Amino acid sequence: MCLSQHFWQFLVPGITLGCLYALIAIGYTLVYGVLQLINFAHSEIFMTGGFAGLFMVQALTNVGVVPSGAQSWLIMFAGISCGALFGGIVAFLLERVAYRPLRRRNAPRLIYLITAIGASLFLFNLAGKLFGRDKVNIPAIYTNGVVFTVFGAQVRVQQLIIVCTAVFMMLMLDLLVNRTKLGSGIRAVAQDSQTASLMGVNINRVISQTFVIGGVLGGAAGFLFGTYLNVHYQMGFLPGIKAFAAAVLGGIGNIRGAMIGGLLLGIVESLSQSCMSSQWIDVVAFVVLILVLMFRPTGILGQRLGRAA
Amino acid sequence: MHRKQILVAAAPVLIGTLALSSCSSSKSSSGASSGGGGKPTYTIGFQGPLTGPNAQLGINIDNAVKLAVQQANASGQLPFTLKVAEADDQGDPAKGPTAAQQLIGDSSVVGVVGPTFSGATKAAEPLFTQAGLASVSASATNSSLTDPGNGFKTFFRIVPPDSAQGTSAADYMAKVLKAKSVYLIDDKSDYGVGLCGNIKSQLGADGVAVTSDSVAAGTNDYSAVATKVANSGTQAAYYCGYYADAAPLAKALKNTSYAGKTLSDDGTNDPKFISLAGPASESWQFTCPCLSAAAATDATTQKFVSDYTASAKQPPGTYSPEGYDVANTLIAVMKPLGTNVTRAAVVNGLRSVDYKGLTKEIKFQPNGEVTEKGIYVYAVQNGKITELGTVDTLISKG
Repeated sequence: MCLSQHFWQFLVPGITLGCLYALIAIGYTLVYGVLQLINFAHSEIFMTGGFAGLFMVQALTNVGVVPSGAQSWLIMFAGISCGALFGGIVAFLLERVAYRPLRRRNAPRLIYLITAIGASLFLFNLAGKLFGRDKVNIPAIYTNGVVFTVFGAQVRVQQLIIVCTAVFMMLMLDLLVNRTKLGSGIRAVAQDSQTASLMGVNINRVISQTFVIGGVLGGAAGFLFGTYLNVHYQMGFLPGIKAFAAAVLGGIGNIRGAMIGGLLLGIVESLSQSCMSSQWIDVVAFVVLILVLMFRPTGILGQRLGRAA
Repeated sequence: MHRKQILVAAAPVLIGTLALSSCSSSKSSSGASSGGGGKPTYTIGFQGPLTGPNAQLGINIDNAVKLAVQQANASGQLPFTLKVAEADDQGDPAKGPTAAQQLIGDSSVVGVVGPTFSGATKAAEPLFTQAGLASVSASATNSSLTDPGNGFKTFFRIVPPDSAQGTSAADYMAKVLKAKSVYLIDDKSDYGVGLCGNIKSQLGADGVAVTSDSVAAGTNDYSAVATKVANSGTQAAYYCGYYADAAPLAKALKNTSYAGKTLSDDGTNDPKFISLAGPASESWQFTCPCLSAAAATDATTQKFVSDYTASAKQPPGTYSPEGYDVANTLIAVMKPLGTNVTRAAVVNGLRSVDYKGLTKEIKFQPNGEVTEKGIYVYAVQNGKITELGTVDTLISKG
């Protein structure tokens, strides 16, 4: 009963949030696909994107003036690109500095995980030191009016921008992975890295590029998330964990799985709110994860980047 | 989850090292050390968040304490020299005891302003009681802190408890805003849950329909909560928590069709809320047991505002006047003690003090509660926090 009442009002923010989770989840899944590594520092790439976009927007807007029309589009585009760019750069550096030396030494799996946690701690504390530990508001870029109404639920500019950007980026990624040479490289490394290298695939370059792609998506998501809420040095923590759960939910290592997992998690989180107290919001996400894993241990779409995607 | 585990593992080590370091530092400055002019030096401690997401509330008080001490030293009338020692607890209950231990370990500290947040106060107060060190909070308002059962023998505060704020806030919504239904959201902190509980019981007495919800502070999405508020068709929504989370809630509410009143408490009543929530902060109202220095018209308070702004390089914020009053109360207690200021003497002095501060006349009941109460209402108008008056006067006006 509680579900049917105001179903659409809860579905709209759920889809918005789900798209953001999906964008972040792709970063986890891509890296897992090629390296079998849970890159816990990915949540900090997300945070970097938030701050980079924030500074870009701060530089482009005047205090107290809300831009409109073409200016809004331009600033929004600049913010997203800046978030994506810096997300990509940090992901690239992370791979170079933290993971590549380990790979060269053939370090055991556990060392990668500890390194990932260390890198995460380092990055968010560095951001806290550099940018302050207070939350920061991204100045308004557009007037957040109602665009249209579906079954009584208002859809606003912000939600539309987040969903459209996310869907566009996911479509592009899907094309990239399935249709381009780089994509077949990524799939080859994910399937069998040794054979791929025998076939002439430059593994180091592919891994680097995979990190950058994940970083670009994560950074853009960071900025979008920042406009939705606030930017903060620890903003990556909770969305990062949720997105990781989403990646596992969809089948870790599977790109389309991450998209579906993220979307599903966002929607379930939002819809469940109509039936129970908000303090259960984080519980619901993980209960869904556990339930799915009980019946499908490899996630909804199953693992393996190479085969399913 | 991985991060939490590391923190848990690191905490005992950290506390151990801090305790050790504070022990060693206390040895070097045993007792009241002599100042430059042959006068002894005493220290007033401050405990509260100086870093972390809610740091502004701590900084507001810290700056006021520094100003009071600086003015007292400059007056030349003190038989001793005063210093300030800061202990940063980030407003986190888990860090409260460590911060308290830092101050306790420094034997020149004879009185403490703080702790700032209720949760941290609850965690730190057993240590202060054990050390016999007076802690006078300018902002910790959780009602249970002054329960005799707690045994917090050296705790005082100059702000009325949440129970007083809760009752007034409920009456304000029922009688001034004339709301028939109210949606209460707490942040699951000691402070938020306590306050919302008090509001709820008084609203029940006033015959107002109440819906309660709680969202843990630091949650990553408020859109679902905002949708619930909008769908409930409530006439007023009250958030019990701090500005760091009230701001994203305000933004999320702005994204819904919600048209009722929005209110929050003293934890949100800060210009930072406006800068975080942007235009979404407009027309939010706050109840607060605090006096807004910026809105005051009397000469003493205006002088305080200009002195504070000059020394802190920012205008006074929420609880700055209260922090100033607490520091001056401590100084007023210490002054007659001359060069024999001890922790025990300060505690005794506080029991009988009668000091006319900026915000109120400061006299304590035996349980450490201040005698004078008064809950003010503020509203965000054109991007500025404006005082509307005390709840009692607003109710009598109708």
